[in-house]
Amino acid sequence: MTCPDAKNHSTAKRKFLLFCASIAALYPFFRFIGYSIPRKPRIIEIGNTLPAGGYHLGFDFVLFDSGEDAWALSRKCTHLGCTINFHEKDNILECPCHQSQFSMEGVVVHGPAKKSLPRYKVEKLKDNGGYIVTI
Amino acid sequence: MELIRKLFEDIRWGEYSLLALYISVLSGVVVGLQYDAAAPLYSVSTLDMLVPFGAYFRSLHFYSSQLFFLFCICHVIGIFSQAQSYSTKQWIILTATLPVALLILFTGYVLRGDATGFSAGMIAEAILLDIPYIGAPINDLFFSISDNGMKRIYLNHIIGFGLLWGWLAWSHVKKYRVAFSRHIILSTSILIFSIFIAAPFEPDHLGVTNINGPWFFLGLQELLRYLPPIVAGVIFPATLLLAIACLQRKHRKFHTLLYFVVAWLSLYTILTVIAMTR
Repeated sequence: MTCPDAKNHSTAKRKFLLFCASIAALYPFFRFIGYSIPRKPRIIEIGNTLPAGGYHLGFDFVLFDSGEDAWALSRKCTHLGCTINFHEKDNILECPCHQSQFSMEGVVVHGPAKKSLPRYKVEKLKDNGGYIVTI
Repeated sequence: MELIRKLFEDIRWGEYSLLALYISVLSGVVVGLQYDAAAPLYSVSTLDMLVPFGAYFRSLHFYSSQLFFLFCICHVIGIFSQAQSYSTKQWIILTATLPVALLILFTGYVLRGDATGFSAGMIAEAILLDIPYIGAPINDLFFSISDNGMKRIYLNHIIGFGLLWGWLAWSHVKKYRVAFSRHIILSTSILIFSIFIAAPFEPDHLGVTNINGPWFFLGLQELLRYLPPIVAGVIFPATLLLAIACLQRKHRKFHTLLYFVVAWLSLYTILTVIAMTR
């Protein structure tokens, strides 16, 4: 005959072991789902050269050309990730979700965003050949 | 007042919500036969514009899902007095079905892939990633839009959250069978309403200055303007869920919790109105 205390102890022990095993099983699961295949840099060609002060709005980037320099900024707002738009009239990039504003250089002008927009590498091709943006 | 309360409690909200759920699931299966998670925006545009009756089935799925959630809330309010006999565990499990149902509704919005849906998804992802330690794994499990597009959200919308809701609600709903024939007026109303009123769809366009998320998300969106994501997006909603989970008359702080829930919902309504007027 088994003592009730010993039986309870055994059940508690079994439950504890089961709990530990469940936690241990979660590790490979979360490692599995947390893995992202390293993304290759995306190279985007823009065929036409923009006029000085012009801009090109891509799906996830915006390209500016001042005439002397060309640069591209991410369109992902650094506050919560919404897609920002460029307002040509005010020369400002604005997020439609919480109205964070950024200058054309990507610097925060008005919050709630705190960080500047990431810049992408831009190669301006010679002889009005356009641009290559690497994201 | 007592008469209104009695009338409200007598309405069979539970049956209505189950009926709306049936229509939502069936129309969801139909929509899923054409929907492509790899190209959500294109896929939904195609459904609305090209696929015969695509707009109708999408509308049916959208409105029946909304009704399911709204009827669920009415059901919780309506049976609140009767539900006092439930054990604490039963009550917690059943109230947990509400946020899961909301998640199913929310992921449906995101899957549209339009300006509203995509932004709502990105905000949800940013909120989760703001939670220390467990935020990233939870995001990997449920959203992960930046890395995986709509793939995981779609999977969770049609399977993951559905199973979770079913698991939580099964002991409660298994007792009930709702026949369409007993609710012909409601069924027909939903079916006819969806013919005339299209489900919302807002493609991205240049120069847009304001995007409002789903109606239940507006208060949160407004709060995110003032508070850090973890406070506005996690702690604030979690307090309501905790309060509802403990909201039983046998709880010694019942009245405090009830006042808290009412105050929370009032504040959320004010925030929603502010967001709508932007």
